[in-house]
Amino acid sequence: MSGRLLGQDASVLRSAGADVDALAGIEEWARRSVVVPEGTLVVDAHVHLGVDRDGHKLSAADLVADLDANGIDRAVAFPADEPGPGGDFRESNGRVLKAAGAHPSRIIPFCRVDPAVGAEAAMDEAQAGGARGLKLHPVAQRFAPEGDECVAVVRRATDLGWPVLFHAGFGARALGPAFTALLERVPDARLILAHGGRGDHRALAVLAAAYPDVVFDTSIAALPDLVSLPPERIVFGTDRPYGDHAQALHLVGAAARVAGWDATAVRGVLGGNIMRLLGGAS
Amino acid sequence: MSAPDALRVVTLAAQAEMALVRRDTVAGPLLAQAARAAEGMPAGPLLTHAAAMVRGEPDREAVRQAALSLCRMALQEAQADMLGDAPR
Repeated sequence: MSGRLLGQDASVLRSAGADVDALAGIEEWARRSVVVPEGTLVVDAHVHLGVDRDGHKLSAADLVADLDANGIDRAVAFPADEPGPGGDFRESNGRVLKAAGAHPSRIIPFCRVDPAVGAEAAMDEAQAGGARGLKLHPVAQRFAPEGDECVAVVRRATDLGWPVLFHAGFGARALGPAFTALLERVPDARLILAHGGRGDHRALAVLAAAYPDVVFDTSIAALPDLVSLPPERIVFGTDRPYGDHAQALHLVGAAARVAGWDATAVRGVLGGNIMRLLGGAS
Repeated sequence: MSAPDALRVVTLAAQAEMALVRRDTVAGPLLAQAARAAEGMPAGPLLTHAAAMVRGEPDREAVRQAALSLCRMALQEAQADMLGDAPR
């Protein structure tokens, strides 16, 4: 057994009285629930690095250990909700870029900004440092996806050739009208709607049908939402450290069985679709 | 699994998931109820282990996170069954 179990330190679980041998068996069963076609590049499209304001944390070393233990080739990583003293995420973006530099074959760096706080400068700095995309969290940073500042940020990211990953779950506000308005102003945006868009899935699925570069990630998504989508519109993600790889792989396996995905579809969901959105670069 | 049996597990597991996310102490009782409801089903062992962990050390963050993982997998198993997943 590795030192980590379900994304946690196994020794901590053991000291808490957990049956770690049983948990290891469950974790292996979960991983095997998705049949990974030979030669598939497996990419986790949703990982937070750093220490979030809510206490969740993940280091680059622990992420790479989790990737190794779960057969994941790469991860798209961006800062946790730690905007820093200036509120512009420049320090935490720098730490993610540094982690990607230390693990260039494993970590694909995205930057994170607050559209209202020095976003353009932060994005320019991140782009110069090798960022490949943008993460936005309308709930944490309290902005509207269709607001002028956010539209400008998405426009800038699109001009840079970046996909934009949006938090799209666990909020009260209807997301369908908001993203409709955003996409009317930036129709060529490449959007990754996190959590299967569970915050407003039915409306977002209808919207996405009209925009081929809008996809959904599987991180902490709901199975009924995923099986209703075309698999080419789905990218694998975990939301580490809020989710874990075994549970996320189990979700893809369940969706593949229920929806009847073939090997090509599974290969796309697990990695091909996100690499295509990133421009095919490795 | 009958539809009412599967729906019962889905309902309890979904409630337990959100209780774990919110660090609500009702997570323990909900997991225990879900585990009983899922006896004999694929979700059963997942919920049994989650309930045992939360009963033992409910305030340990690693325990909460691991229990959340197990609870979500149980929910996914039960939902898959309701959606017509072939028995494995």
